[in-house]
Amino acid sequence: MRQQYAIRSLVIAVCLAFVGLAVIVQMVRIQTSEQALIFLSQGDRYAGEFQTFYPERGEIYDRNGHLLAGNRTVYEVGVSLSAMQDPEAMAYILSNQMGLPYEDVHKKLTDSPSSWEYVVIQDYVSVETVDALQKMIEKLDDADDPRLAGLAFKPHLQRSYPEKALASNVLGFVTRDGRGYFGIEEKYNDLLAGNPVQVWVPSDPNKATEIPRVPNGTTLVLTLNRDLQAQVESILDEALLDYGANNGTVIVIDPRNGEVLAMAATPHMDLNNYDNYFSLYDDGSQYNRAIGMAYEPGSVLKILTMAAALDTGVVRPETTFVDTGAIEVGGITIQNWNRDSWGQQNMVGCLQHSLNVCLAWISSQMGTQSFYGYMQRFGLGHPTGVDLAGEAAGRLKVPGDGDWYPVDLGTNAFGQGVSVTPLQMLMAASAIANHGQMVTPHVLYSMVRDGHQYNVPSQYAGSPISADTARTLNEMLAVSLEQESSLALLPGYRLAGKTGTAQIPRDYGYDPYHTNVSFVGWGPVDDPQFLVYVWLESPSASIWSSETAAPVFAKVAEQSVILLNIPPDAVRQQLATK
Amino acid sequence: MQGQATQIIHAYRQAPWRVQRQWIGVFLLALICAAMVAALYLDVTARTAVAGREIQELRIQITTVQRENADLETQLADLTSTEVMQQRAVALGYRPVQPGELDYVAVPGFVKPEPDILLAAEDATPHFETLPAEYTQSLLEWFDDQIKVGAPR
Repeated sequence: MRQQYAIRSLVIAVCLAFVGLAVIVQMVRIQTSEQALIFLSQGDRYAGEFQTFYPERGEIYDRNGHLLAGNRTVYEVGVSLSAMQDPEAMAYILSNQMGLPYEDVHKKLTDSPSSWEYVVIQDYVSVETVDALQKMIEKLDDADDPRLAGLAFKPHLQRSYPEKALASNVLGFVTRDGRGYFGIEEKYNDLLAGNPVQVWVPSDPNKATEIPRVPNGTTLVLTLNRDLQAQVESILDEALLDYGANNGTVIVIDPRNGEVLAMAATPHMDLNNYDNYFSLYDDGSQYNRAIGMAYEPGSVLKILTMAAALDTGVVRPETTFVDTGAIEVGGITIQNWNRDSWGQQNMVGCLQHSLNVCLAWISSQMGTQSFYGYMQRFGLGHPTGVDLAGEAAGRLKVPGDGDWYPVDLGTNAFGQGVSVTPLQMLMAASAIANHGQMVTPHVLYSMVRDGHQYNVPSQYAGSPISADTARTLNEMLAVSLEQESSLALLPGYRLAGKTGTAQIPRDYGYDPYHTNVSFVGWGPVDDPQFLVYVWLESPSASIWSSETAAPVFAKVAEQSVILLNIPPDAVRQQLATK
Repeated sequence: MQGQATQIIHAYRQAPWRVQRQWIGVFLLALICAAMVAALYLDVTARTAVAGREIQELRIQITTVQRENADLETQLADLTSTEVMQQRAVALGYRPVQPGELDYVAVPGFVKPEPDILLAAEDATPHFETLPAEYTQSLLEWFDDQIKVGAPR
């Protein structure tokens, strides 16, 4: 009996062992089959996904910490097609709430390929719209109404400009593809955008992997003073209305270090609605006329001619010149702006009355090599190197160029036949305001990255004239403004400056009816802390700079001394003696 | 002599049921050990899964907080923008100052402040590049590591 049990037990054990072995063999066979590899690779597809983590775009601040460019949340609104139950109702609600055509939304919901799980209805939807939709979803959920089942919102950041159009010409803008255009946004796009990181993120929580930290884009602090920028833009807009000018530019820099304190150019654009770009600008050079548009500056360039002549010793302030109202240079007769003769003048008189004949005589005395050598050292014909995208170089014809004629030596001396950008003129003038040392204008004050602030050092662009020459010319320009009783004067402050009224070159010659009016000036003369350039295009109220650009300069100077805390000369000297 | 040997053998020979019990005991001991290891493994795996899920949730929270920060900063800038501040100033009865209305006072030792430093805008905390091994390695890998650590060098 016991033997029978033993045999039965053995048979059962063998059978079970066989079954077990068969199971194991089958498991191994399945695991190593060709199909298993296919299943494994299919499984891997759902094991996780590559995700790209985009850093938050760096912010832009003015020099006092006011945010000029930041980021705000917007949403991608989409629908999970498998969860959607009522496409008609969904399309109706979404088209009403988001202002989209019903047919378009309905088509997306019903005509998407069958393999699609999710369809995007619209991206960059505002928080307000999404809030309204979310409230509707809550109400419908409470009532077990599935009309918005499957609706999903994916938040992400979009560039935002809290100051709207303020400093728009300097900042530039960022499009929805994340690329910066114009100004700071384009120039420092790589720094601001940061480096996206792509990471494999497993779905299995057992395989926890750390996502490498994605540092935000670099934050930039600009040299701009927001309040001064606002005032300058306001003054410029007023000036366009008052004087009927087509467009205008005003720049304020610190002549001691080249920091751009304000840079206004028209037209401005609300950077949050950059779609208006094409309706406002014909081409990129118009976006920031201060750096992108070269023009014949006219008499403001006389300060450079005079600086060069004083520096070489060709003239001194007391040198006299008898103005007969005309001078022949290169076989062409050059006349004064009023075609009149001004008799005997010293060099201050030549500047005060802006005598073309006198300045043409000075450049002729200097000769081509010396005159053009100085103009090149002042940076004419070369970009200033300002850290803004889209800078133009202007044009300085020199002997040897195919289109240079001997008469150009005379006309270039008073700013005709040479083209410069307002910023180029300003940079050249900085040599006179800053003891002979020319500064490179710049807009970036510092960069903040990973908790560290890196300040950008000022750069000097050489010394085209000596400190003595600069001091002498400073005094001459201050005296000429005072003797002229210029509208550019500001009570309590001694300022230096020069007007410029330039005819506008057309295809057929110079326009007899329209002018470009400019003014370059700085102050206080004994310690210049601001340097201003004004350019108004084709003012209709008056063709003269002394009646249009000069008063604009005075208004800008007034705001500059208030906002930059510059006391009147008398007070400053009193404070200095204490 | 032979009798003595037989007595000793009898004294130490175990009854068959005793041998069976010993085998069962050994088997049960092995089973309990295996169960303990399995339980430990299950516990570690479960905790790893929970930690992994927490990491995923924290990651989402970080993103949300960063986005909210950016939003709030921009909202604050909206509320303090030049246009808004000017409107508020006018509403409060202020008007722009004229140069002649300003008084300047000499303050001995006063140095004009430099532009603000914006360090607060950035996270300066140190960062660890990798997760601790406890969050990523299996029990076997941990065991292997421990053996390697204990091995003579």
